[in-house]
Amino acid sequence: MTEKRETSKGFTKTESGKRLTRMLTDDYMNLHRGAGEGAFVVWVAIIVPVEIFRGFDNVVFAVPESHAALSAAKGVGMLQCEKAESSGYSMDICSYARIDIGTAMSGGKDSPTFGLPRPHLLVSNNNNCSLLVKWFDVYHREWSVPHFIIDVPFCYERQKDRDRAYIVAQYRDLIRTIEAMTGQKWDAGRTREAVHNSSEAARQYKRFIDCAVSRPSGITAFDSFVQMAPLLTSRGSPELASHFRMLADETEVRMKSGLFPVPGERYRLFWDNIAPWHQLRKMSTRLADLDANIIAASYTSCVGSVEGSYEFLQDYDDGDPLEALARMQNFSVCPYGMELRFEAMSWAARHYGIDGFVFASNRSCKVYSIMQMDLQKRVAGTLGIPSVMIDVDHADVRKYSEENAFVRMEALLESIDAVRSRKGA
Amino acid sequence: MFVSKLSDSIRQLKQKGFRVVGCFPLYPTVELLHSLGVIPIVLWDLKDQVRSLEESDCHIQGFACSVARRLAGFVLSDEGALLDGILMYNACDTLRNMPEIIQLGLEEKGRDLPLFRIHVPMAPRDQTGSDDYFAAGIRELVRGIESAFDVRFSPERFLESVKLYNAMRSLAVELEALAAAGRVSYGLFSRVIRDGYFLPVEEQILALEEAVRQASSVKARDDDGRGIIVTGILPPPEAVCAALEHAGLRVVGNDVASQARSYGRPAAETGDPVACYSDFYRNHMPCTTLLYTSDGRVRAIHDLIRERNARGLVFIGEKFCDCEYLEMPFIGKTLSALDVPDLQLEIAADDADNVESLRTRIEAFAELL
Repeated sequence: MTEKRETSKGFTKTESGKRLTRMLTDDYMNLHRGAGEGAFVVWVAIIVPVEIFRGFDNVVFAVPESHAALSAAKGVGMLQCEKAESSGYSMDICSYARIDIGTAMSGGKDSPTFGLPRPHLLVSNNNNCSLLVKWFDVYHREWSVPHFIIDVPFCYERQKDRDRAYIVAQYRDLIRTIEAMTGQKWDAGRTREAVHNSSEAARQYKRFIDCAVSRPSGITAFDSFVQMAPLLTSRGSPELASHFRMLADETEVRMKSGLFPVPGERYRLFWDNIAPWHQLRKMSTRLADLDANIIAASYTSCVGSVEGSYEFLQDYDDGDPLEALARMQNFSVCPYGMELRFEAMSWAARHYGIDGFVFASNRSCKVYSIMQMDLQKRVAGTLGIPSVMIDVDHADVRKYSEENAFVRMEALLESIDAVRSRKGA
Repeated sequence: MFVSKLSDSIRQLKQKGFRVVGCFPLYPTVELLHSLGVIPIVLWDLKDQVRSLEESDCHIQGFACSVARRLAGFVLSDEGALLDGILMYNACDTLRNMPEIIQLGLEEKGRDLPLFRIHVPMAPRDQTGSDDYFAAGIRELVRGIESAFDVRFSPERFLESVKLYNAMRSLAVELEALAAAGRVSYGLFSRVIRDGYFLPVEEQILALEEAVRQASSVKARDDDGRGIIVTGILPPPEAVCAALEHAGLRVVGNDVASQARSYGRPAAETGDPVACYSDFYRNHMPCTTLLYTSDGRVRAIHDLIRERNARGLVFIGEKFCDCEYLEMPFIGKTLSALDVPDLQLEIAADDADNVESLRTRIEAFAELL
């Protein structure tokens, strides 16, 4: 192992981290170049199946949510939010939306990626969050760009066949819409190949996040937060599967070499909500100094899974790619009700050996957050695991207080010690 | 907990032997429930009905809208225990979490309620055919209600129920016109409409008929009341209505979700609930919560302003209602282009009586007009 560790404990810049930076740079450069050369540009919500677009010759896609997260992580989130607010958008609206609207309305100024190329089509879905439909409607009206809404029934229980058929029908309409707008013909074989790539990428990504099973954990959730970006910008590409394979390999090698992000790990924590993008390094380092590690998160664990579970769904069997994508249309956390989310959390608590839960009550994401108070009660009552709720906004640093958050997280660590003392007594 | 009309109404209905189902959000399948002998009560605009949020604060963070917090507060209260079931359809991100929050809260109290759900397709109607999908959902809903209450659906009774609700809608339109003419205050009009949601439709009709009769006997105002349109997911609190009128503004039309958006268009008069509700939702008045309709809202507001000769628009912003707050900047921009001023007010959960800070803005807006 010749790799040089570049940072303090808690957050490690690895070879895969550098490769990630290159991939993201390439993704955004290719996006701008493609748009500049006349490609058809689609803006999508995060769980719109972009594998469909890979079935076309010259369609490129941009993911505003991912761009907003990147902006927040690069420290320009607040600046972009303020632009949207000065245009009349309430500070109570999701900070991703405000960052994106602020960026778009200022022509990409201050964006780490020079913004996103103007879309020809907007595609959203309402099961991850319906706010996103309203957010895309802003551009639909301001720029007169068509907006395709994929209507996906919310899952209080497992996906029904009837729901899946309805979703597939909408995919077919989406394909027809793009064919009509571009004159290009969709190739099912290429989408099938992209689905294979995505499935393999998810499998390799699962290998990576399962490095958290070991004691001490081979990763922090902060590592997995940053590695999510290409899941959105490169999905369906062979490069993504290769990247995650190398990432998992590299992480396993590091663990064999005795390199762990929190070597003296005493507290194994689970994070419930979107990443606090503006706090990644600060929070991970400060927790590491307390020998605490947020080893897993509902936000990242759900990749490659469905039904609110965190377990890998299955390898793609080469069947109808649209059926497979419709099955995966419910990937993510937010399309699920409390029962399914709690089921997944219970599994994670066992699988990762979780000592405590951190519920990040996120003012910007109501769909994720409004049920956490009850989830917290169930975690305590049913699983007997201590937890804490902290106030966070995933991308607007003005709505976060580090000291308040850490007072509570330190109290959580004390609770974990108290539980251990009782068990030891 | 302070509970008024709503719990009184449910208690009286229960004493008469009726089964009562609480419905949310705004546009539930009330005719269907009614035709099956179950009284639907729309649990919306509960600000004067549920004054304490203590119960919901055990389940929901303070950054949820007051609609969700009061809904949970009511259903989990002792008065809520009088309900025989809950019916809901998909709307916003907050409300979709409510069924399980309510169910868990009820479990904690050792209570249980049948829950009926229906998914209203939100894809634009010219985009994807959703009729078959929706029809299956309606049939499932009918079977669910039949099974829960041991009742049988009848097309004839359904048609009768549709006609009754349409009669109620027609009277609401009539009363709105009287309010626009200044023959009944907008505050009183809003109260009559809101309280009607807590009554069986037959009583709602009687209340509206009485309100129309009384208002019709009042002479139309011949002042030059500055006409405004009010828009929002909820009507203004009574104190805001009073402040608007005190400032010399007259509400000549509304685009309020629980008012004109609810009664503005009759349901198709048929005995087939699939045909009725397909038409009902497809051709609904534009509403921010019905994603596929909201494109039409800008035009609907412009038309209303022109038809009613309104001089301005007042937006009643329900704090934390993302749907509304993402639409208003664009609507405001289009109004500016038409030289129609707008005033955006924000009402939070505890602001119903605390309107002094808004009064100055309302007065300044009235002077501007």
